[in-house]
Amino acid sequence: MPLVELVNVTKRFGKITALNRINLSVEDGEYLCILGPTGAGKTTLLRLIAGLLEPDEGEIYIEGRKVNKVPPEERNAAYMFQNYALFPHMNVWRNVSFGPIIKEWNQKRINDVTSEVLEMVRLGERKNAYPHELSGGMQQRVALARGIASGARILLLDEPFGALDARLRVNLRTQLKSLVKDQRLTAIHVTHDQEEALMVSDRIAILREGRIEQIGSPQEIYTNPKSIFTISFVGGANFFEGVVSRVNEFGSEIELRGGLRIHVSDRSRNVGERVVVAVRREHISLGKSRRRGFNNLLGEIEDVMFVGGSMEYMIKLENDMTLFSRILLKGSSTPLRRGEIVIISFHPRECRIFEYPRRGLLKEIEAI
Amino acid sequence: MAWKNIGINLSGIVISCTLIAFLIFVVLPSFYLISYIFLRWDEVWYEVFANPITGDENWRQIIRILLFSFKLSLSAVAFDLVFGVPLAYVLARKKFPGKNLLEDLVTLPLVIPTSGFGFATLITWTSSSGLGRLFGSTRLLSMNTAIPLINVPFILFIVHVALTFPYLVRTVETKIQSIEETYEIASRTLGASSLTTFRKVLLPLSIPGIFSGSVLAFARSLGETGATIIVSGVSTTASIAIVRWASEFKLSTAAFMGSLLVLIAWIMILPVEIYVSKNRRSSWRHLHIPTNLSMKIIKFERFLSRKLSIVKDTVPLIIVVILIIIPVVVVISSVTLYWSADPYTGRVEGGVVYQLFGPSRYLDLILRATLTSVIVASISTYIATCISIPLSFIIERRRYGHILRTMLKVPLIIPTSSLGLSVLLLWGSSGLCLVNSGIWMIILTHIVFSVPVIVESIIAAYEGSGMQMYEETARTLGANAYSAIEAVSLPLIKGGIFTGFILSFTHSLGETGATLIVMGRDTTIPVLVVNMVEALAIPAALFTSTYLIVLSLVMLVIIRILTQR
Repeated sequence: MPLVELVNVTKRFGKITALNRINLSVEDGEYLCILGPTGAGKTTLLRLIAGLLEPDEGEIYIEGRKVNKVPPEERNAAYMFQNYALFPHMNVWRNVSFGPIIKEWNQKRINDVTSEVLEMVRLGERKNAYPHELSGGMQQRVALARGIASGARILLLDEPFGALDARLRVNLRTQLKSLVKDQRLTAIHVTHDQEEALMVSDRIAILREGRIEQIGSPQEIYTNPKSIFTISFVGGANFFEGVVSRVNEFGSEIELRGGLRIHVSDRSRNVGERVVVAVRREHISLGKSRRRGFNNLLGEIEDVMFVGGSMEYMIKLENDMTLFSRILLKGSSTPLRRGEIVIISFHPRECRIFEYPRRGLLKEIEAI
Repeated sequence: MAWKNIGINLSGIVISCTLIAFLIFVVLPSFYLISYIFLRWDEVWYEVFANPITGDENWRQIIRILLFSFKLSLSAVAFDLVFGVPLAYVLARKKFPGKNLLEDLVTLPLVIPTSGFGFATLITWTSSSGLGRLFGSTRLLSMNTAIPLINVPFILFIVHVALTFPYLVRTVETKIQSIEETYEIASRTLGASSLTTFRKVLLPLSIPGIFSGSVLAFARSLGETGATIIVSGVSTTASIAIVRWASEFKLSTAAFMGSLLVLIAWIMILPVEIYVSKNRRSSWRHLHIPTNLSMKIIKFERFLSRKLSIVKDTVPLIIVVILIIIPVVVVISSVTLYWSADPYTGRVEGGVVYQLFGPSRYLDLILRATLTSVIVASISTYIATCISIPLSFIIERRRYGHILRTMLKVPLIIPTSSLGLSVLLLWGSSGLCLVNSGIWMIILTHIVFSVPVIVESIIAAYEGSGMQMYEETARTLGANAYSAIEAVSLPLIKGGIFTGFILSFTHSLGETGATLIVMGRDTTIPVLVVNMVEALAIPAALFTSTYLIVLSLVMLVIIRILTQR
């Protein structure tokens, strides 16, 4: 039985539909990320689960019990904010013991749980400090400890790393995940940072304009994106617009603007259909000679960017299209220079083909 | 400092002119009042403590009156706290249809001329055209019906509650709005019921707001004159005593009482000011409640949170209706009832029309008083605005600004009758002898309380505007300090200036306590209501009160439109 389940949940704010018929189930002990751009409805979803909002339609179940009308304090789901919302008038100890006291445990258990959890996040020595005396990372750990100590089985994390600087963020990700796993908690983590989502979660739900676009393991999302939106939001890609000109047993041929043709292994499209072909940056290689079995196009290097560990090239094709290629830096290779003419190669298997979106290609990727 | 570039001269002149005007017009009177009792201690001693005929009867009277005033104000504030804090919470956190209307209704007593409001309340509870009509008796209460236990006249009590309610509610509301909602949400998701969350999280965080709101409400109640003079009956409060003594030329006794009130106001506000400014971040530390007891409380709160959320939301609402809406409705309906003749005796002389147009010619009085009121309000607000704009900039930008701001609190908390007395003593015949009682002295008095009102409103706009950033940007784009202020800063705080202007204008229109002391032969409309009630010209008073209430409703609409932007 899933721990949290949403069935056909719809939430509107006036005329705006923030969430549209959402179906989602989260297993006990799972770490789920809800990934989406600003305004996709991520926080609304989290607030519905917490009980801070009531759905207009549909049902929410926690541990099999319908909780649509159950107040937040009876859901065992602790909400963690970006700014942690540590009570400023209470010290660390008071903050962490807040849940146990509220839940009317006996004094011994309150003390035991509080000190145990504080040790767990390595803040036992700062128990008398007030929140404003702590660093951002420590505050986050206190907030986490407070949630755990309250006996909550579900952690609702709303951009939990948003207020931290980049380096700390990466460190804390792994800590957070192992803590959640060690305590056998269930985490629902909202973020707009795809890297963060890929790194920490067991499953990712891609949310877009109030709908779940795709849900699956990080690998699945990355390697098998079901939509242009997903592929461009998670990892990004180059997009070719074109028309299917031929389909045979090896795959399809797509005619691009300016008469260029590329081959794609996918054979599911019909001749004459308008399509978009996506190729990830790291699947595009650059060289001086054509590679057999690959798509080979001619281009000129327009810009070279160093992104730490790899080089990113901006290349202009013969038909004036621009593409990006990311190439891992190896010891021996010398980076290409601006203005060099190169042959761009990518394998037909690495091409993903999508139906041309009704609202246009730009509309699908600009929301990001 | 943004003014450096204009050259030290110009900015120096502006700053010193502003400060001098501020000190002379706003600060000097109340200091003079206190120094007066030291300078003329002999007179005070003679009048208050050692009168050859009455002995220390005046002193004993002062004590008696002060005790009564304190009892009244404390009970009013206690009532405000019990019902005002929940209402403030609802206004700050909930969204519901009619919220703006409710906010306006709560604010109404801030805007309404108090003598008109006092009269409306009096009619509502004690006359045959008020609530008594609904219950079939001629009157619900007598003027002096007292509340048991505290032994305070009921009417006096509810008038003071209604007039102090907005100070508490609005202050606490603002404070709660400034507290992020995330704390409450965190607490709820950690398992606390809404009442427990309120007690353990929101309440401790809003304590500074509750304190300053209570002090404001208390000071307001202590100094209330306009409505009190109408409903007080046989009881005397401190501010009424000052008015009476001043009119009997017992200036020393009045000054003594006045300075006592000023001192008390100071003693009350200083610790709160210090406390509030020191504890911006955290509020008070924990009260220790034994675990058993706290568990019982938590359980009880959980039970109440489920059952009683509607009660919490509606009871304050009902109080607003009873205290504010009903009197307004009653006074308006009474005017129609009394329009052509007294409905009970049928005598034409008892009707509004006769009194307005008949031999007593009250209409002329009303028109003349309106003219006086408008002139006073316009001139005093204009001068106060001229002082307030540069003063606000000085407060925001100079290190000594917060001292000025604390000084500005004085006119807001000292009783208005003390204020009027201090202006009378300073400028009048017993002091500098520059101005005689009358319209000019009323203007001088109104400037004193207009400046703080406008400054507060400008500062509120200033602090929310990110002014420094915009002004610095303007400077880097090539504006000199003066043109940056003209082109960027002033337009940014335009709303605050307008709001302050209207608030102060309204305040000036409705002021009674201080005006009574300094008015001489000129009369403003609120004072006219008092005079009419004293002359038992009830229909005329009804008409004038309605007129005042309608006027203030219009003002309220204007304020609402201005502040919404």
